[in-house]
Amino acid sequence: MTFANLMRSSALAGAAALFATAASAETFRWAVTTDPQTMDPHAVNAAPVLSFLNNVYEGLVRRGRDMSIEPSLATSWAPLEGETGWRFTLREGVTFQDGSAFTAADVLFSYQRASDEASDVRSWFAPVTDVRVVDDFTVDFVTNAPNPLFPDSIANFMILDSDWATANDAGLPARDAENFATRNVNGTGPYTLASRDPGVETRLTPNEGWWGEDRGNVTEAIMTPIGNAATGLAALLSGEIDFIEPVPLQDVAQVEGRDGFKVIEGEETRVIMFGFGHEHDALLYSTDVTDANPFTDPRVRLAAAHAINIDAIDRVVMRGKIDAASQLVPAGISGYSEANADRPAYDPDRAKELLAEAGYPDGFSFGLKCTNDRYINDEALCRAAASMLAAVGLNAELTTVPVRNYWEQLRADDFDMYLLGWSPGTFDHEHPIRFLMHSQDDEKKLGSWNFGNYSNARVDELLPMIQQELDPAKRQTLIDEVVAITQDEVAYVPLYVQPLIWAMKDNIDVTQRADNFFMLRWVAVN
Amino acid sequence: MVYFIIKRLLQSVFVMLAVALLAFSLFRFVGDPVSQMTGVETSTEDRARLREELGLNDPFVAQFARFAGDMLQGDFGYSYRTRQPVGEMIADRIPATLELGTVALVISLIVGIPAGVYTALRPRGFLTQSILLTTLVGVSIPTFVIGIMLIFLFGVQLGWLPTFGRGGTVQIGNWTSSLFTVDGWRALILPALTLGVYQLTLTMRLVRAEMMEVLRSDYIRFATARGIPYRRLHFKHALANTMIPVITIIGLQFGGVIAFSIVTESVFQWPGMGLLFLESIRFVDIPVMGVYLVVIAFFFVLVNLLVDMLYIAIDPRLRVKEAA
Repeated sequence: MTFANLMRSSALAGAAALFATAASAETFRWAVTTDPQTMDPHAVNAAPVLSFLNNVYEGLVRRGRDMSIEPSLATSWAPLEGETGWRFTLREGVTFQDGSAFTAADVLFSYQRASDEASDVRSWFAPVTDVRVVDDFTVDFVTNAPNPLFPDSIANFMILDSDWATANDAGLPARDAENFATRNVNGTGPYTLASRDPGVETRLTPNEGWWGEDRGNVTEAIMTPIGNAATGLAALLSGEIDFIEPVPLQDVAQVEGRDGFKVIEGEETRVIMFGFGHEHDALLYSTDVTDANPFTDPRVRLAAAHAINIDAIDRVVMRGKIDAASQLVPAGISGYSEANADRPAYDPDRAKELLAEAGYPDGFSFGLKCTNDRYINDEALCRAAASMLAAVGLNAELTTVPVRNYWEQLRADDFDMYLLGWSPGTFDHEHPIRFLMHSQDDEKKLGSWNFGNYSNARVDELLPMIQQELDPAKRQTLIDEVVAITQDEVAYVPLYVQPLIWAMKDNIDVTQRADNFFMLRWVAVN
Repeated sequence: MVYFIIKRLLQSVFVMLAVALLAFSLFRFVGDPVSQMTGVETSTEDRARLREELGLNDPFVAQFARFAGDMLQGDFGYSYRTRQPVGEMIADRIPATLELGTVALVISLIVGIPAGVYTALRPRGFLTQSILLTTLVGVSIPTFVIGIMLIFLFGVQLGWLPTFGRGGTVQIGNWTSSLFTVDGWRALILPALTLGVYQLTLTMRLVRAEMMEVLRSDYIRFATARGIPYRRLHFKHALANTMIPVITIIGLQFGGVIAFSIVTESVFQWPGMGLLFLESIRFVDIPVMGVYLVVIAFFFVLVNLLVDMLYIAIDPRLRVKEAA
């Protein structure tokens, strides 16, 4: 028996022992509002899918309880020498759920699959120019420029078994039909799929050969999609379900007031903000200003920022659960600008002055677009904000739209001012700068959610520098400059950080992660 | 009779095509499927390619012709949301909806018919007045409110019945049934009651009105004069004649129950076609929505056909007309 084999078998024995101590069959039932559309880790880049599949599949790296990046299928990684990119050293002795061994070939295969045109997660690999298998347990990812963030950006890049995928005709993600990977899995993760009935029920059982250790005691997990919030709450309170999220704000007190239940509150990494039509020549929905777009004047945008009373919104609409935001990422996220942590104060008088200076002493009317089913209490927020804006003369004509119609309308430039919530997929400030602040550029795939096309040459220049800077202090200086510019120009009006509210029976221990991903291995049933 | 059925079936195809066309033209306003299918980081270019692949850039007429053509060949396409074959998705969900609808209808009949007869025979009784008032209140409250009230009373407060889902099911061939387990029945009671309330009221009021009408007719008066016992008179002669129009309405109601189970299925997370339809709207899953509406139209057509055939079987006068 070689040394590596010995290590491997003792690691397995350790995992088995841990499992044995926790083996007093603990069933855990949880409800989700949206059933994961697919079990294919590369077909849909959406939170319900990635959150669920992180229990089944694993990537080279993963996020810990505090969102930090930690080793997973790679034990270490370091910048390549002599060229730009990263070398990943893989964990040995890992097997897939069907028993086959995990090697560098699976990483290469998964990379090819995930970066294919048919994949929805290919944007993660945009900077990658080449992937090389050095040996069975070493893989190099070559990037087109220095890329300090690359390991962070692939935390949800999940590795499939190449033989399994090829044998089952699932070599590529299915876009407009299903394939074997749509309803079947073979990952290396702590749990595996016992049964899947899409839209009805999905059962998970522990992967007994899992290499990791940090796992609770759930031996059977049942996930049920419940779309209707009242039904979900009733299912929790009647004891049929152990855990639900999100809990509507107005129901929090009801759950807390009952014996045997608890609520965990935290902050999502999502910042809720207002955006403007920066490049529109004229307002679309105004009854009085039809030949100009006052929002092109930063004073008018600042007036809008001064007009909104976040404390009142917190009190009236959000039941005291929010913190005001000053920039497009919440405090604590990497790249958060401490230097620019102040936001425009609530000051309606200053707002009126600014409007007068900009040539609109009596204000003007315009159209405000909001969703009514996307963010927590989004419609109520917009109503409250509209009345605050009206108090200084900014008469918002509010239109609320279900999210399924919303993006289409924003992409068609059908707004004067709009609501947006943004959660940085990489948990770094570069993400919203890339998607929301860089000028729209389809070719370079930048600014794709910058609906109002806010554009500043210096910001466009700073983004690639931020993406390539390896020194954290220098990088922060660059980000601080972007934040200072965009605050100065009021590119957006950041409002607050969206709360995260989970409810469960009080014998359940969970870890609430700020990306709202649900990790079954951190659940303990007491 | 055979000619009649063939003629009706041919007509049905046109009805269903018309429904499909109407549905299809409405779907263009439901939202953008591509936004719902892709994540935030998908590039504009990839989105455009997907749009092209799905044929969403084709003219409306071409899209409809493709959809209708595939349907006629029995190809229902793939769901945008789950990527599963739509035919399979709908087929998986049909048993849940049919069982829920049937049980709801049965509840409405076994309560509604006796209540209708009773209220017709004792039009001024105290019980009659209270029944009429209660059902009027019941029918005035929106279905989802009734459902949530039942859930909170019997599920949360008393803890007697489950609040969501189908409970235990049994697989019989391709049919997943909840009618053969205690657990399944427990899960079925509340949604079936919720769905049946409106039907119950309708059945009761219809039976009552028809029965009162019949009781006033000459042949009942003569029969009364001849001294036929009241029990026999009411339940044999009067009720039998009452039931002919009632059967028609019940038949049509069944189609309605299936089609309008959407709200009940959503409140109880009942995994039937209605819930599937709602989820499909949320995700702008056009293929599923299209097939759902065509299937519902098919149910209506089928039920109507059966009702017409029942008519011919029951009423000899119609047979003569048909032959002529």
